[in-house]
Order: sequence, then structure tokens, then C-alpha cells
Amino acid sequence: MESTYKPKASDFAPVKSNVHGEQISRPSLSYWQDAWIRLKKNTRALISLYIVIGLALFTLVGPYLWQVDPALQDLNQISQSPAWPKTSILVGPYQRFTPVVLDDFPAEPEEYLENIPPPENIRTSEPPTTQHVRLVWDPVGGAGGYNIYRNQRVPEGINDLGLPLGSTLGGNEVSYEDRLNLESRNYYYSIVPTDGFDESYEYQTLEVTPKLAITFNEAIDRGLIGPGEDRELNSEIELEFHPFGTDYLGRDMLARLMQGARVSLFIGICAPFLFVFFGIVYGGFAGYIGGKLDQFLMRFADFVVALPFLLFMILFKIAFGIGPGESGVIPMLIALVILGWPGTARLVRGQVLQIREQGFIEAARLLGGKNHYLIIRHIIPNTMGVILVTLTFAVPAAIFTEAFLSFIGMGVAPPTPSWGSMCNEGVKTMLSHPHELIFPAVFISITVLAFNLLGDGLTEALDSRMRSRE
Amino acid sequence: MSETILEVQNLTVEFATYGGNVKAVRGVDFHVQQGETLAIVGESGCGKSVTVQSIMGIIPMPPGKITAGSAKLKGKEILGLSAREANKFRGVEIGMIFQDPMTSLNPTMTIGDQIAETLMVHRNVSKAEGRRKAISLLEKTHIPEAEKRAAQYPFEFSGGMLQRAMIAQSLACNPTILIADEPTTALDVTIQAQILELMQELQRTENMSIILITHDLAVVAKMADRVAVMYAGQVIETGTVNDIFYRSAHPYTLGLKVAMPSNQSDRNKRLTPIEGSPPDLFSPPKGCGYFARCPNAMKLCEDHQPPEQIIAKESNHTSRCWLQHPDAPSVDGLHQPEAAHAG
Amino acid sequence: MLVRTENLKKHFQIGRNQTLHALDGITLEIAENEIVGLVGESGSGKSTFGKTLVGLHNRTSGAAYFRDELLPAKFSAADHLHYSKQLQMIFQDPYSSLNPRMTILDVVGEGLQIQGQHSRSQIKEEVADWLNKVGLNSDHMSRYPHEFSGGQRQRIGIARAMIIQPKFVVCDEPISALDVSVQAQVVNLLEELQQSLGLTMLFIAHDLSMVRYVSDRMAVMYLGCLVESGPSDEVFFDPQHPYTQLLIESNPEPDPEHERSRQHIPIRGEISSPVNVSAGCRFADRCPKALDHCKTVTPKVTKISPDRLVACHLFE
Repeated sequence: MESTYKPKASDFAPVKSNVHGEQISRPSLSYWQDAWIRLKKNTRALISLYIVIGLALFTLVGPYLWQVDPALQDLNQISQSPAWPKTSILVGPYQRFTPVVLDDFPAEPEEYLENIPPPENIRTSEPPTTQHVRLVWDPVGGAGGYNIYRNQRVPEGINDLGLPLGSTLGGNEVSYEDRLNLESRNYYYSIVPTDGFDESYEYQTLEVTPKLAITFNEAIDRGLIGPGEDRELNSEIELEFHPFGTDYLGRDMLARLMQGARVSLFIGICAPFLFVFFGIVYGGFAGYIGGKLDQFLMRFADFVVALPFLLFMILFKIAFGIGPGESGVIPMLIALVILGWPGTARLVRGQVLQIREQGFIEAARLLGGKNHYLIIRHIIPNTMGVILVTLTFAVPAAIFTEAFLSFIGMGVAPPTPSWGSMCNEGVKTMLSHPHELIFPAVFISITVLAFNLLGDGLTEALDSRMRSRE
Repeated sequence: MSETILEVQNLTVEFATYGGNVKAVRGVDFHVQQGETLAIVGESGCGKSVTVQSIMGIIPMPPGKITAGSAKLKGKEILGLSAREANKFRGVEIGMIFQDPMTSLNPTMTIGDQIAETLMVHRNVSKAEGRRKAISLLEKTHIPEAEKRAAQYPFEFSGGMLQRAMIAQSLACNPTILIADEPTTALDVTIQAQILELMQELQRTENMSIILITHDLAVVAKMADRVAVMYAGQVIETGTVNDIFYRSAHPYTLGLKVAMPSNQSDRNKRLTPIEGSPPDLFSPPKGCGYFARCPNAMKLCEDHQPPEQIIAKESNHTSRCWLQHPDAPSVDGLHQPEAAHAG
Repeated sequence: MLVRTENLKKHFQIGRNQTLHALDGITLEIAENEIVGLVGESGSGKSTFGKTLVGLHNRTSGAAYFRDELLPAKFSAADHLHYSKQLQMIFQDPYSSLNPRMTILDVVGEGLQIQGQHSRSQIKEEVADWLNKVGLNSDHMSRYPHEFSGGQRQRIGIARAMIIQPKFVVCDEPISALDVSVQAQVVNLLEELQQSLGLTMLFIAHDLSMVRYVSDRMAVMYLGCLVESGPSDEVFFDPQHPYTQLLIESNPEPDPEHERSRQHIPIRGEISSPVNVSAGCRFADRCPKALDHCKTVTPKVTKISPDRLVACHLFE
């Protein structure tokens, strides 16, 4: 940058030196203000922070907005996938089904055919609902009975008819009532005639889509219809809304996720807070006292680290004896705290040993500062950054441990939901109803990821090496 | 005049930080000739280390960025080379030693093996040959019992011995230039004297050029042939060592000299400190970087960068100061060539 | 004598059978209003001596007196408080010696706050006053240490020690971490304060030229022992102990002509380890003038002129 400036004579006038009372032009920032500014520049950490806040709202405010009992079973909507609100038709109480038996048709086959033709004209005798599907068909000569199958897709051949529902015992009994776990979806009923011994190779299929049905009494029971309200039969009525679907017992997933979050986050936040607090006290004490006692305390910490975690958890659970109706949250919390503190204790001890050697501690000692003054005024504030970072990393670890233990059945006892135990239940129906596994799993993953990224961001923001003036 | 080995022109380096760009080096020019020692002097943060690190291609990029300039080693451009090309001259044509040898030596390898490895990579020698040469290099740097020492690890060496081992390693490929970045700052005076003597001896026997980066004027006085004084990312004065010490042509150089106690001076005479602190290169001053601290500051210094003024042509003595302008007033103690001055 | 030590020893137990002899019998007297410079290489124990003197280290044996009052061997917090107006220290590293979480007001006012005899507003006034005295802007007292440069931080450290107006201050390498242009600021400040407050100082440094410039008397340490002491200029220009001679020979000067005319120093070993030292002169293995008995007999301190002491067999 070569200057081409041609100076004038007046430019050479001397200037009074302007360094007295040195000025600092950069704005004044405390440690935490500075860290916050750094954190705000880290997009990932900021998004994670928002997610963590969102989770807190989900857990704390959510249940007030979504007032559904997580233990209530909605038997009309079992293993329901996430969907918009569903409607159902109101039906009367279940009426007993009278099979159709033709008088003018022989029950026994008159002749045994090589191959009996399939029955014609399969139809439903009444509108199909999830209460019942009633099938009737025309009889076939040579039939001594009919086998009824139900499939969830179009059968591709005689060996692909699906679930055998039952048989009729007579060529003249040409009806069947299906009440087996009916859902509001497409079913393919196939009728195969038999001669009483052998099944024919011919079949006929009917596609039926039963309508969701609910009886009057049940609707009143569940509060879908007010007690005084008058509704016509077969009119449409809105069912409970399950935005995240239901589980295998018909419990609302959203409500369960919220309650599960309470359990998971309670353990995930309480346990780290408790063991980090204990670790600070233990490690701080050991580090500050030093010498033989420090050695002894740290060897004890090593001993605790060496305890096999899973074995300890199982033994602890047995020893504690979770009685009926207890959730097992408290024993798990205690076990996590008992096993979790040595890491923090070691870290804090290291920090304290390091800080103890710093000049400002020596200066404060020379000024006559007593031990508790040194610890409260100088040592603890300087370990806060590291402690905060440890805490943010300990939270996802604890959440994950809780989920893992509950998943293998060693954690929270049913019916208390936690994300881990929900995964455990969801895994059983993973193939047919994947949402029961995916939702809790996604919540665990996002929470753990968000806390970890936030911890990374905090580490960076609080790192003193990056705080140099250049 | 002997051959120019390294020529650096208008080198400009910036660092991206949280708050914005820090202009660490702002248009630095210098050259090094065969067999001479160039000392780059300046305070911490003046950009002296960044300058040589940029030339060596070892500043972290990002956040570092060379925004302008060129550096020619024997006429060949070495800035902006790929890592692979840079490795061909780094450690071969240019050797480098640092303030803290521990950071640049591998703690899990013996000293001998590390030197041998340098030779194996750059000179294609066998392992046995490399080891043999490593021992002779250690002997060259006067490490006692070189053979035994070669089989030891860095932590078994004292600070002075490590610096010797570091020098031995940097000499492995017979470099034409040795860059020494504060080589003796961490050492005690008696050890410092030994290392400086060693560097002088090796310079004579190997006919190397040395770029010595230091903040210590006493070390400069002992070692340098020529000196470049850096301040706030710029070279503010260059010249022979006598020019700088006896004919200082920049108020900063002058200020540094009177701020240090001299052994001849009277103890009762007070030191004259340079008031204030160096400018924040976060937002470098518009005019002269030294304006705020300069006792002789003038009106135009605030807003106008002083051009490079030639003080003495034959010795290549230059200064970036408006006081060297023909119209400027003369200042006590400051060397101002008479011909150029009105009064 | 304001401060006096007699055969002061400080040993650190660093292993089962390993003892680090940081200080091995230091006898030193510091008169009121005097600045005594203490020089030596790293590992010579000069910082340990300073810290033992003010009670940051417990002495192993020997005695230390302040105004003929025996200082406790082990300082409790109450002892520190009792002596805080007598013994203070300025630290080497301007970065680690200020608590990064405290504002400058809290840092500088800490001494007054611990003594608990001042109200908050009185402390604030005093701090503003002292910040001005050390050349800082008192508007900056709500700022944090990381916002200041090394030299400014060192001045804050000086203000912290001086605010309770101690009699004796140990300056532990107060300028070695600072840039040349800033060193003079701090040295001048210390000299000004010494004169205006009538301070006594122990100035520890490894920069011989600076120690000679600052101090009235100079003491040279090698491996936990004092090898020579005397008036600064005498020791500097006429060193008697072979180690002092080597030290001063090695000290480069910012003067190229002088450096060129200087004789080249032969390569002579390094400081040995202070762990498990045996009897004999500590410098014997590096000494060019070593005699046979130097390695086995510990040299006595010899008075070679009224105020010069040397510990060397050559002078016995």
C-alpha cells in the first residue's frame, strides 16, 4: 500500500502524544457474555439449543395442551398409524348372527367331484363394519362345506389365500361371520368349497372394506356422545384423534411420548445434576486438600469406575425390589448417580489442581484469603465452564443409558412409559406398525444429538484458548 | 554483491476470527542473500512469525489467508504451492527451528530416527545410512556422546540439547536458508550464548543464510548482518545492523533502544519507555501504525501511510516514516540523511 | 535489616528416594528501602526463594525474619492476613495471575475486601486511585482481565499488591513475559512506587542488564545456593565467582560493535539437576577453574570486601 500523498507544510505540525490513560476500543464483555456471543455464531449449537428448549416445552407444557390420558386404551384404534382424525359409524349393540342354512340344498355332497367349482355371488348380507363382516354366497353342487380365508392383499393363487378363518360344515351352510380383529382397511375374503374331506382347487374372492363402527353404549362410555345427546343409528361420529397413532394396546402415542419424555428427561437431567454436584464436591475436596487423602479418594473413584455397570444395575434392581405399581425410576436414578460421579470428580480434581497453582490463587493467599474464600471466589467460578460442558455431555449419556436399560427391560417398569421402554414395546410390532418404534427412537436420537451438539458448541464457546486477543 | 536467495514482496496475510479479519501482515518486503543473517525484530503480535510461517506454508488455512504478495526462492515462486510441492522445499531448501523444539519433534521416536527419517524422505538414503548421518549431524551440533544421544527420546533431552537436535535435523538436507523463530527465547543466557555460537559456526561452515526472528535486540546485535524491524504488520525500517543500531531512522527503533538498559549507561538514568500498546490489527490504523505511541507524531501521520524512504542507498537502509520526508523537521537522536533535509 | 534469611532450605519430596533441593541454605539480608536483584538460570531456585520468603512455600529448615520477628515456617490463612501489609508479591505471568472471572475492580480491591475494613464505595475509590497511579484508565474497572494487554495486566497485578501498602514486595520476574517496549513502563512504575512508598523489593529476573539497572544490590543463585552477592555495578562489572563471570560473559548486549569485539565463549555444559545433590560446589562440573576438592567440599561464603560475598573455594 504505497502512499502517493504529497504532504503540505502544515502537515508536519507536531501532534501531542495521545496515549495517556490508555483507551480500550473493544466493548467490555464478561466471560459468559463473550461465550454467549460465540455460541450464537455457531448455527448447529444454536439449533440444538432451540431443540432442547422445544423438548423442555414438549415435556412440561405439552401435557397441558394435549390432555389425553396416556394409560387410556382406545380399543377401536389399536396400533393405529399416525393419521388425521377418523370417523366411525354408530351401530347398535351386537346382534347374534344366525347362519344361513338352505333347506333346499343337500348338506352332504351327492357325488364326489374331481374338482368342485367355486361358489358364485359372494356378497355381504349387511353393510360391513369393524363390528362384524357377514358373508353369504350361492351354494355349489358337490360341496360338503366351505373354508373361509381372509387376506390383506389380492390372493395370487390357491396357496395365497391368507388367514384361514373357519369352515362351514355342510354344502347348504352358505354364510360366515368374521369378527376377528377387524380394522378399517381392505380385506380379501376367499371361499373354497370342500367335499367334507378334500378342499377344492377353485376359489372365489370378495373385496370388503369394513367401516369403522362403534356401538352407542361405547360411544357414551368414551364421552364421544354426550349423555343426553340423541344420535341416529348408522350416523357418522368423530373418534378420538391420535396424531401420532396408538400403540399395540390402543394407547395414544403422543401422550405416551410426552409422559415418556418426562421420565427420560427427569432421569437424564436429574442424574447428571446429582452426580456432577457430587463429583464437584468430591473432586474439589480431593484436589484442594491434596496429598495422601487425595490419593485415597481418587483410588476409591477408580474402584467405582471399575464396577461393571450392567451387572450393578441388575443387582441393584433386585436388591431394591421394585414392587407392583412402582415405576423403578428412583432406583435407576440412584444407580446412575452412584456409578456416574467419578468422571466428574476426576475432571474437577484436575481442574482444581491446575487452578490451585495459578498466580491469582497465590495472590489471594498472600492477601489473607481463607480456604473457603479461595474455593468460592476463585476456584469454583473457574471450573464452571468445564462443569457446564460436562453436564451437557452427561445429559445425553444418561438419557441414552436410561433408554438402553429400559429397552432391555432393566429400567423403567411397565406401564410407566419411557422412550426406552416404548422402543422395547415397539420393536415387537416393528414390521407391521413401525411407527410404534420410530417415534420414541427418533425422540431419543434427536435429544441425544441436540445435547451433544450443544455440548460441542459450549466447549468451543468456553474454550479459553480461543479467547486470546488476536 | 552476493546472490539473492529469497525475495519476498508485498506479503499480506489475514486471519479470519470470530469478530472479523485480523490483518496480521500488511505488505511486507524483504530479501535474503547468500550466507547472510537477516534478523526480523518486533514485539509479539507484530506479524514476524506469521510472515515466515506464510513463506513456509505452515500457517493454518483457514483461518489464515495470504491475500497478496510473492515469495521467490532462487527465482521460483513458493507461495500458494500445493502441499506436495511445498514439501519439496520445506525442510530441504529451507530448514526451520522453533522456540519450543518439543512441539516439532515426535515424542514417540528417538532423535536419531527422526533425523534419519528426514533424510530417508528427502534424500532417499537407506535407514542405516540415515542413522549414520544423523549421528554425524548431532556431532556437528556438538552434542556430547552423539551415538548414545541418537538412541534417546526427546523427553530425555534438556532444552538446550533439544534445540541442538532440532538444528541438526533442520540441517539434514543442507538447506540454503535456516529460519530460526525465536530459537533462544525459552533458554537461559548461558545456553542461549552456546546456541547462538553454534548457529554462527554452522553458518560459516555450511554457507547458509539465516532468517532470525526475535524480539531481543541484544541477540540481533550479536547475530545479524541485516535487520528488518517490524511493527503492526509492516517492516518499518531495514538496513545493516549498524544502520539500525547506530543510525536509527525510525522513532520506533529509536524508542526500543532507549527503553532498554545499556550496560554502559548510568544506573541512575531513567529508562524511557514507549508509552501505550501496539495497535489492534483488528482495525489497523489508517495512517502510520506507530502514530498513537510516537513521541514525534505529526499531523499527517494519523491519516497517511508513510512511504518507504531510502536513507542510504549503498547499504539499502530504508525507513517508513514521514520524518524522513525532505520537508519534515529534524528530531533529536533520529538519523536523518543531511542531503534530504532542509533543517 | 527489614528481611533476613538464615540458612533457608526448601526441599521438595518428588518420589520415594528423590528430593529436589530447590533451596540449599540461603542466607540473605535485605535492608529497608533497598532493591535487591536476584538472578540465576531457570531451575536455580530463585522463584522458590521468593515464594518461600512470603510464605507461599513452607520452608524445610532455616529461618526467615521480618524486622527481627521470626516468620512462621508454615503460613496459615491468618498468618497471611497478619503479614499481608508486610509481604506482597508481583507475579511473573500476567495472564495466570489475574482471575479471568473477576472484574478489575474486584481484582485490585481484593486485598481491601478480604481485610473487611472498607465499604464498597471506599474500595471503589481506592481502586480508581490506584489504577490511575499505575497508569490505567479508572473507567476500565468494570472490565475483565482478558481485555487488557500483557503490560496492562502486569500493572493491574502491581496495583493489587500495592493497594494495601506493603513494606516488602517480591517481584517474581515481573517483566520477563512482556515486550521490550513495555518492560520499561513496568520497571519505571516499580521504581517510582519504590521511591514514593519507601518500599523494599526483591527483584527476581534472569535479565542481567535489567537487574543491574533496577537493583541496588545483586545476588546470583546457582542450583539452590547463593554464589555471589554485592552492589549491582560491582558484581556486574567485576564478577568474582566463575559462574557469575560465565553468566555475564554470556549476556548479549544491544550493541553490534561490542558484540563483534567480544571473545567467543567456549561450549560449557548445562545446569545439572537439583535432585539428590551431593556435597561439593554445585558449579564444579561446569567450572573452568575447578579444583580437586571442589567436587567434594562445599565452599564457604567468604567476605571479599565489606559488602561482597562469594561462595567459592578460590577465595577461601
